[in-house]
Amino acid sequence: MKFNSSGYLVKEGLKNIWTNRMMSLASIIVLVSCLIITGAAILVSINVTSLISSIGEDNQVNVFLDYEMSDIDAIKLGSTIKKIDNVVDCQYYSKDEAIKEYKEKLGNLYDSMQGEDNPLGNVYKVRLGDLSDYRHTINEIKAVEGVASVSDRGDIARTLTKLNYFVSIVGSWIVLILGVVTLFIISNTIKMTMYSRRFEISIMKSVGATNTFVRIPFIIEAMAIGLISGLIASVALISVYNPIRETAGNMITLIGTSTIPISDIWLNILLGFTGTGILIGALGGFISISKYLSKEGGEILGW
Amino acid sequence: MIHLKNVSKVYSNGTEALKNITLDIEHGEFVFIVGSSGAGKSTFLKLLIHEEKPTFGKVEVNGYDLMKIKRNKVPFLRRTMGIVFQDFRLIDKMNVYDNIAFAMRAIGAPERLIRKRVKSVISVVGLEGKEKCRPNELSGGEQQRVSLARALVNKPGLIIADEPTGNIDPKMSFEIMKRLIDINKAGTTVIVVTHEHELVRAFGGRVIIIDGGEIKEDKLINGSDTIGEEYTDISDQPAPSVLSDQQDNNNGEADEK
Repeated sequence: MKFNSSGYLVKEGLKNIWTNRMMSLASIIVLVSCLIITGAAILVSINVTSLISSIGEDNQVNVFLDYEMSDIDAIKLGSTIKKIDNVVDCQYYSKDEAIKEYKEKLGNLYDSMQGEDNPLGNVYKVRLGDLSDYRHTINEIKAVEGVASVSDRGDIARTLTKLNYFVSIVGSWIVLILGVVTLFIISNTIKMTMYSRRFEISIMKSVGATNTFVRIPFIIEAMAIGLISGLIASVALISVYNPIRETAGNMITLIGTSTIPISDIWLNILLGFTGTGILIGALGGFISISKYLSKEGGEILGW
Repeated sequence: MIHLKNVSKVYSNGTEALKNITLDIEHGEFVFIVGSSGAGKSTFLKLLIHEEKPTFGKVEVNGYDLMKIKRNKVPFLRRTMGIVFQDFRLIDKMNVYDNIAFAMRAIGAPERLIRKRVKSVISVVGLEGKEKCRPNELSGGEQQRVSLARALVNKPGLIIADEPTGNIDPKMSFEIMKRLIDINKAGTTVIVVTHEHELVRAFGGRVIIIDGGEIKEDKLINGSDTIGEEYTDISDQPAPSVLSDQQDNNNGEADEK
């Protein structure tokens, strides 16, 4: 392609989008849906991974004591826990302190839960040394008399891992199916464009236009559809990401602190979506054009 | 310029469209290819522009061996020729200027050259003042002149006109033929495929008659000669008066040849 034709070819490609606006719109809608679903699945996955990682790095567990245990017995129990191998620190956190903290965070809701009406239990915040010995140490703590339960974050990590796996599998299938549908629709859009311009194509070939020259406007059309879809999908996902993250963070503190803020990933979303959109568009366009360009003369015109 | 040696074409459905054709057309000739529907004229043209490959034999056009030509060289073969179609094949949404310029844009010509060349061919085909008209605002003859201008604009050494007068009235047919003869006089080889005997008689020259996929006659004629009516299913109509006038002018040329 000569440089002096590039402007003409790009203009022709962009004009085609408007000429076949209904099919272009259909392609954009499907591609945007595909990108948003793909993007959402990826975002859930990386956030869950981040959560799992933050849980894995956290070597502190909460040891809940029997509700009826007195303060003196509780202090004695603390010294027993401290003697367990792999326990490097053990801080007492009374139920009065806990309810006070909840009241400060969440207000009057906890006014009536003072003194004997306090439903919380006394807790030891225990820091472990070697995380590879996590399971064994937890079992030893649980065996101590007076320990009601231990907050075992390993369970949360396992649940999140399962969720991550589920999101990955379901997401992959959805992406695969929508990807095929998108390719099909984009490819049909380009076929329709080519059909509506069959006279031009046959004339172009008869005067000696190379297949590359004939192909370029259609590829540009398909890539532009991909680019537009990528931009729309990026803006949509970036717009809803933070509100969703904040809402989820209000419900579970861990989500708010361990997930990835939009400022860290908006550029990745934008580049990923537009790049993928352009790539799918180019691929869809290329598939349909190659079949068409192997035809000659009357075959192009359908005679 | 064009050399066919023992060329046959058999389509996949078994139709034998051309049978052992041997033919030479030299640079600067004006040749009529005449034959009835199904005689093999279209296949002959398709071989020249490499829309079809011969089953047997050798075809050479403008220095390209079409039995050996690579796929990526076909566009360059086609740049050596201009094609005029019976149905004009103009793009409705483009005006006259753009329809002609399109042929240059399609091969990546710079806009400055396009402006210069299009203006020049518009004048050659006599369409000054019609540059901004759309095809549907033109008569059949004018549309065919646009088609002719488009075929000329890349300055090919060979013009192939496939039934160029098939969709226009007799007066305009004369006009188009006159333009083709002028183009030929300027040095371009012209091949006109037609089934209109009266037109051929009116202008005379080398006439190749194809029937049943074979060349039945290849001769120089003038207005008084018959041109193989026995091979065609088209009954001759009396030549229009305007053609009769031209016949007188051209018979001399045919005799000279």
